[in-house]
Amino acid sequence: MGAKKKVLHSYTDVAGQSDQVRAAVQFGIDVQALIDNLERTPAERIRRHQVALDTTMMLRNAKYL
Amino acid sequence: MSNYLSNLLERLVNAGVDFVLVGGFAGVVHGCTYVTQDIDVCCNFSPDNLIALQEALSDLHPVHRMTPTRKPLQLTEQTCAKLKNLYLDTDLGQLDLLSFIDGVGDYQEVKNVSVMVRAEDMELRVINIDALIAAKKAMNRPRDREAVLQLETLKKLRKQ
Repeated sequence: MGAKKKVLHSYTDVAGQSDQVRAAVQFGIDVQALIDNLERTPAERIRRHQVALDTTMMLRNAKYL
Repeated sequence: MSNYLSNLLERLVNAGVDFVLVGGFAGVVHGCTYVTQDIDVCCNFSPDNLIALQEALSDLHPVHRMTPTRKPLQLTEQTCAKLKNLYLDTDLGQLDLLSFIDGVGDYQEVKNVSVMVRAEDMELRVINIDALIAAKKAMNRPRDREAVLQLETLKKLRKQ
């Protein structure tokens, strides 16, 4: 049992949201990703961020062909 | 058989998925210093290509991240035909697949303005820096304007 998951389609569903959420959406922040992260444990957030960092390091070392 | 590659991009390349890396990670390839977590690609939305993608992600519990119940990814040839974009979450992070990039065009047009890069053991297509700037300018959010600043600065620095 749990609350129904809130889905915010970043570029459209701002009506009725708080000023902070609207500002984040308009800035270009993926608010749905924030909502998804709230469902994760800190350990899982860190694991996923490490995957992103590993990908970043790999791409930073990429060479044009 | 599970093919546990630790990187979403490696999986797509190894599966022969037809795609071009766009968005934040494309900026990273061109030298941007920001950190981003989500992978954005422009890809061929043909059923064959999407089914290959689904196979590549099959052991990563891919879900449609923009649906209230995070529906599992279960594409068929019939359902593929209606798709224009796919917003997925997987065990290895978020993957957004787009059939059209504002400021650039459809997949073939994006592919025409892509460059090949080698990253570790793989080669992949990345949107070129000019087209990435055009795409970011088309979005025109503050975050995109910051990316444009970095990209235009990188262009300038390369010429010096």
